[in-house]
Amino acid sequence: MLQLTDVSVSYGPIQAVRNVSATVEQGEIVALLGPNGAGKTSLVSSIVGIIPVSSGSVGFDGEDITRTPVESIVRKGLTLTPEGRRVFAGLSVAENLRLGASTQSDRAAVEETLETYLEMFPILRERYHQTATTLSGGEQQMLAIARSLMSRPRMLMLDEPSLGLAPRVVERIFEHIVELKQSGLTMLVVEQNATEALAFADRAYVLASGKLVFEGAASELASSDRLMEAYLGTGVD
Amino acid sequence: MGLVSATLLRSLAPICLLIAIAGLVMSIGEPYQIRVAYIFFINLTAVFALQIYMGGTGHASFGHAAFQGIAAYSVAILMTPLALKRLLIPDAPFGLAAVHLGAVPSILIALVLTGVIAYIVGLAISRLGGVAAEIATLAFLVIVHVIFTNWIELFRGPRAFYGIPSISNLYWGLGAAIIALLIAKLFRDSPYGVQLRAASDNLLAARAMGVPVERLRLLAWTLSGIVMGMAGILLATYLGTIAPSSFYFNQTFLIMAMLLLGGMRSVSGALCGTLVISIGSELTRSLESGPVIAGIDLPAMFGLTGFFLGAIIVLVMSFRREGLLGGEEFEDLFRQWKLKRKSAADETSADAPAKQEA
Amino acid sequence: MEYFVQQTINALSVGGEYALLALGLAIVFSIMNLVNFAHGELITLGGYAMLFSAAWFVSDPIYLLPICVLAATGAAILFERVAFRPVRNAPETTGLLTAFGVSIVVQNALLIFVATRPKPVPIPDWMQGTIQIAGLHLPMVQVLETSCTVVAATGLILLLTKTNLGLAMRAAAKDFTVVRLMGIKADRVILGAFAVSGFLAGLAAVFILARRGAVDPMMGFSPVLKAFVACVLGGFGSLLGAAVGGLSLGMLEVLLQATLPSEVAGFRDAIVFLLVGAVLIWRPTGLLGKRVELGDKE
Ligand SMILES: Nc1ncnc2c1ncn2[C@@H]1O[C@H](COP(=O)(O)OP(=O)(O)O)[C@@H](O)[C@H]1O
Ligand SMILES: [Mg+2]
Repeated sequence: MLQLTDVSVSYGPIQAVRNVSATVEQGEIVALLGPNGAGKTSLVSSIVGIIPVSSGSVGFDGEDITRTPVESIVRKGLTLTPEGRRVFAGLSVAENLRLGASTQSDRAAVEETLETYLEMFPILRERYHQTATTLSGGEQQMLAIARSLMSRPRMLMLDEPSLGLAPRVVERIFEHIVELKQSGLTMLVVEQNATEALAFADRAYVLASGKLVFEGAASELASSDRLMEAYLGTGVD
Repeated sequence: MGLVSATLLRSLAPICLLIAIAGLVMSIGEPYQIRVAYIFFINLTAVFALQIYMGGTGHASFGHAAFQGIAAYSVAILMTPLALKRLLIPDAPFGLAAVHLGAVPSILIALVLTGVIAYIVGLAISRLGGVAAEIATLAFLVIVHVIFTNWIELFRGPRAFYGIPSISNLYWGLGAAIIALLIAKLFRDSPYGVQLRAASDNLLAARAMGVPVERLRLLAWTLSGIVMGMAGILLATYLGTIAPSSFYFNQTFLIMAMLLLGGMRSVSGALCGTLVISIGSELTRSLESGPVIAGIDLPAMFGLTGFFLGAIIVLVMSFRREGLLGGEEFEDLFRQWKLKRKSAADETSADAPAKQEA
Repeated sequence: MEYFVQQTINALSVGGEYALLALGLAIVFSIMNLVNFAHGELITLGGYAMLFSAAWFVSDPIYLLPICVLAATGAAILFERVAFRPVRNAPETTGLLTAFGVSIVVQNALLIFVATRPKPVPIPDWMQGTIQIAGLHLPMVQVLETSCTVVAATGLILLLTKTNLGLAMRAAAKDFTVVRLMGIKADRVILGAFAVSGFLAGLAAVFILARRGAVDPMMGFSPVLKAFVACVLGGFGSLLGAAVGGLSLGMLEVLLQATLPSEVAGFRDAIVFLLVGAVLIWRPTGLLGKRVELGDKE
């Protein structure tokens, strides 16, 4: 479904991502792991067109989207829930969700989608008319995810959905990710919580200093202490 | 090598260029060309002044023409002979109608006064920062203009103030431009200038490193105000006649276009832009007065110069934001060019044996 | 009593005019960090559109009013397409200087192609008369301008809260990238912002022209300078701040007008700016502004 070929991303002279090739197949959850500063955010941002790909190409459903503007990519059915949630401060939960549905023209379908996700995230129904900034971190994350889903994407990328959340809340978010997978959504999940992410992912890529250092089945990585130690430094921290 | 001697050395080429221009004009020039060259030196001084502030802080200032006006009116009021003053400003306040000073004290007082006003205004502007500071400079320009045009007892209002002794000549212009160049270059390379430029690139990082951003902005603003004052004094003591409109919008966008075209981040850019626009506006000036081209008598076209200056600003900002020189000094460009040539030469010599093998 | 009411409506109408202009500046700034120096030229171009229409095909001056608003709106959209698009993601100062250049170009183009002298523009007679309300004689222009400002402000609030475009504009003021991640076209949001700002400038232009009755190439500068100052006074980029700043500035101005002795009346604008400067020394971010480093958003 998503096909990266030799993708590099640069900020001026600094190369944040170097020649990454990867794929995500329909129906899969793929984990993108790596330490802080590895280039994960840069990679997903460039896939969705927020920052330019400096070389290489990105394909979605067999179509080249390397230079396609963000809004068109989202309209093709690929979206990103950005790092740090970035809900619209000062706008209500309802307004945030309404903005998420901007690509949809069928009102009835929007209502239906809204109902689905208010069902999935009941807290959003409770806080429906509150401004987004009054929500807790976990609630904001759920709002950000629901907001992305309002455009009815076929593939969703989540950039560190667990960032800064308490373990109990993280668990809830991950449960929702599994639930979404069961509904047939394809996902690429960026995570630093490697162990937990590998528990629900089908496959995993590990990025270090902008380069891919591992790709394979999630279970292969999870079951090998040596690999986990080498790439992700788990057990050290 | 100390900062001062290093700067002197690196300013040698542009200084020689300026001296050559002055020499050439003096040896073969008609009065008209001398006048054009003098105006060029005035504007050059002004553009260097603007560069000190804009190049350092990265903020625009629309208010600098006011400093030029303040200094020009100061010398005018102090230096004009008493007999004439009784005619021009008989009711001047603070007993100024009876004051007549020589050139040197007048000029010194004008510069000090400009500096003090710049400092006071700078206290507010350096605190504001960002867009608000830029708009404040515009408001400052308007305030000073309103005062010039309405304080009739002191400034004669919108009417021209004439009869200022025309004591300066082309060498004054040359000297002032060279002094302004040296001040601008010294400031740019001084620790203050470097810190200020760092702060304009990344304010938070600079603050975190303890750079006193507000104080440096204030310093740049005051210094550039004083240098701008020099340009005002040159104008008053050469033309002998000034009016509030000489220090308002037309002057503001003229020096702004000059600075931006060359690139506000370097002193060389300021020089380069001023040269290009001075030459260009001499050409369009002849169009404005309705020239005869190929036998066709074109009508006079007011606003042509302004039109081109505005277009230059828009085009530079859209397509070459850092200006012609890209924010570099001449010597840096020269060094880069030498390096490139050297590496190109290295490549060809490295290629040569490879070719022989093949 | 009559004097007091007259001065109040005068203050409201002047304040409303500044608020309309300041709101337009603030909408564009909040969304794309552009300080539109050429906002004044929207007024000017609205005025010239009236001038040309009157000369060519419009006989009843009432039709000139919508023409003015439309022309200002169109000019705002045109400026965005032609001049501001290349600097869309540039630093603030770059955008500001570009707009400064646009303003000079338009002023001088009018100087070259039209005239340096002010030219009279026909204004409907009824706009220049007075109207009797509750036994008080009030200038029609001021009453109309005050009511128009109220209507326009209400319309703006409805647009921003009830329509998708308005919602997107509010969101874009917070985080433009995420707005695009919602699949909303950046061009449309920016176009919307410029159209609204041009429309408000056109409304203000109608009343500016009704007061002065003539156009000249520099006429936009003075009102827009006031609008800039209003924005700074209110807190740059805040819509509420722009409205509050505009109203306060207008009232201050009318207050000074009414109280200053005639010898210093010419200094009014200088005094107004100095007073605003004093407020800013006390509150550098403006009345309603928040401290944001660099003035930029995420
Ligand atoms: N806007 C930026 N400008 C310059 N460098 C950046 C920028 N954003 C990220 N980087 C650099 O790119 C590298 C990768 O960052 P990022 O993609 O955020 O990593 P991750 O998401 O894996 O933590 C880091 O070295 C970071 O410093
Ligand atoms: Mg990241």
